[in-house]
Amino acid sequence: MAALSTLELDESISFPRLQELLDMTAGNLSTHLRKLEDASYVDITKAHKGRTPITYLGLSKKGRRAFEDYMDNLRTVLGEQR
Amino acid sequence: MSNSKQRPSDAAAHAERTPNVDDDAPLDPAAMYALMQNQQRSIESQVNGFVPVITMAWGLTWLLGFGALWLIDGARPGFALAMPVAIGIFVACVAVTSALSAWLGIRSGRGLRGSTAAAFTGTAYGVTWGVGATALGVLGGALRSAGMTAEMANFYYPSAYVFFAGIMYMIAGAIWRTVPSLVAGIWLVAIAAAAPYFGYPNHYLFLALAGGLAFIALAVLSLVRLRRLRAAASGSARRG
Repeated sequence: MAALSTLELDESISFPRLQELLDMTAGNLSTHLRKLEDASYVDITKAHKGRTPITYLGLSKKGRRAFEDYMDNLRTVLGEQR
Repeated sequence: MSNSKQRPSDAAAHAERTPNVDDDAPLDPAAMYALMQNQQRSIESQVNGFVPVITMAWGLTWLLGFGALWLIDGARPGFALAMPVAIGIFVACVAVTSALSAWLGIRSGRGLRGSTAAAFTGTAYGVTWGVGATALGVLGGALRSAGMTAEMANFYYPSAYVFFAGIMYMIAGAIWRTVPSLVAGIWLVAIAAAAPYFGYPNHYLFLALAGGLAFIALAVLSLVRLRRLRAAASGSARRG
């Protein structure tokens, strides 16, 4: 989620590019994303480049809000100024 | 694999753990906060890794390009560069660096898909570069036909284009909220306005040094920032 939070609102990233940036295996990244998808934290859209299907991922509004709240909570726990 | 009973906050926390982190060992808040911050830094440093390269390339382009134009008359009687050669060097430097910028920009943005509004902004910004640069060339031709001397054209063309580039950098800084771009734009506008005061041919030397060294300094600063981001991100991975 931290990686996806660096995207602009309504921006999305392809699965292979995210995998490359996070240096994760496809299986591992899929597992993480499935959990986030179950929580409705990511928007997953399928597109085609020519005949090749591409999966794009972005934070949903709910996901972005949850991530920001989570970071705020951590800052509060840690006693940091916002 | 998914756990339908898992709470959303648990899902968020779980998904932050990289393969380097043992899922069975919960991180304390400080470690989790550092992990997420550094993952953001890692992404940012990878996506923006091209910035120092482009900035350095433009710095060298300014030094070599305007330096070549200055050498047409600036180092006489000891040395003089033929005008066609100097203009050729200038055009070649700008063309190569423009192509490099476009290639690196496209490469860094691969796999990213923006909204329709963002795509429109990017296209409009790119078109503005083309329209503005063409219009300045046409305006220069019109001024020449209206009586502007070749000596005055020596001041008009570099200052007009540097001024325009500065405005475009400032617009880019405003659109994409990048302070270095805004600062570079203000600097370019300032040196474009000041250059004619140095007289021919020293205004070329002034542009070469004031523009070139500024871009090189900016490249060094962005490289230092990038290395700090990478160091912080890799430090987190080691701790994880």
